Amino acid sequence: MFKDLNPILHSQLRLAVVSILISVKEAEFTYLREKTDATAGNLSVQINKLKEAGYIDVTKTFKDNYPQTICKITPQGVQAFEEYVRDLQSYLNIKK
Amino acid sequence: MENNTENFSPEDSLRVIQTMIDKTKTSVVDNSFYFLVWGWLVFSGALLQYILVVFVKTPANGAAWNVMFLGFIISIVRRVKNKPPRVKTFIDEGLASIWLCIFVVQILIVIIFLRRGDWEHCYPIFLILYSVGCFLTGRMLKFPPLVWGAAACWAIVILMTFVDAVTNMLLTSGAVLLSYIIPGYLLRGEYKKQLLNQPN
Repeated sequence: MFKDLNPILHSQLRLAVVSILISVKEAEFTYLREKTDATAGNLSVQINKLKEAGYIDVTKTFKDNYPQTICKITPQGVQAFEEYVRDLQSYLNIKK
Repeated sequence: MENNTENFSPEDSLRVIQTMIDKTKTSVVDNSFYFLVWGWLVFSGALLQYILVVFVKTPANGAAWNVMFLGFIISIVRRVKNKPPRVKTFIDEGLASIWLCIFVVQILIVIIFLRRGDWEHCYPIFLILYSVGCFLTGRMLKFPPLVWGAAACWAIVILMTFVDAVTNMLLTSGAVLLSYIIPGYLLRGEYKKQLLNQPN
């Protein structure tokens, strides 16, 4: 039976962020913005949603007086992404 | 990129995942800097020692290796001055651990040879150690010139057992040229090429 896709991940920008973070150890906010072509405001909102869901860890630091936001996927985020991909596969198989 | 959720189909999801993974794959870091700095320093140290032994004939020829202190200064200055990378991959982390371990083992080997006094046997040991770093870096970065450089080190180590300690100094320079300096320049070229082809 087809399982509903995780609504937190089934969103273009949030999925893009998690897809990047799944393949790296950690990434800075500016890197995510550059790779996703998103606006800072929109990206910030979506990162907060992922953080609230427990899918990513966000660390804010200062380097040479400039704020730095570093994002890292959590084990819960990895599990959610894997489940999302599995659901996606089963959905696409049913469609075929 | 907008945060589209209304008309976001599973097919779109797959496309986003694929695109993002492709973009991350090209997040290369210029790893050539340390290969070139340390490569040229070891090359100069070994060659200088050879000149001091053969032509100057001084017993203080070991002083040639003081050039290595330059490497520490350059590495520390670069680390302090450069901004931290905006993205850290698992490969970057693995490589950092490998080279940290090689650095510690190298210091231990220096201490052992200084205490024992039989420094003439140190060259093949150092080359074996360097080859480990080259080989693993080459495999992890999927960069064959470093793997071939490591293989060249192994061949030169065998050759070293047939010649005297003074010739070993020259062979060390040759090995470092093949395993660090040439692959280092090739790696820099590869990095520049990848930057030009990067989607973003």
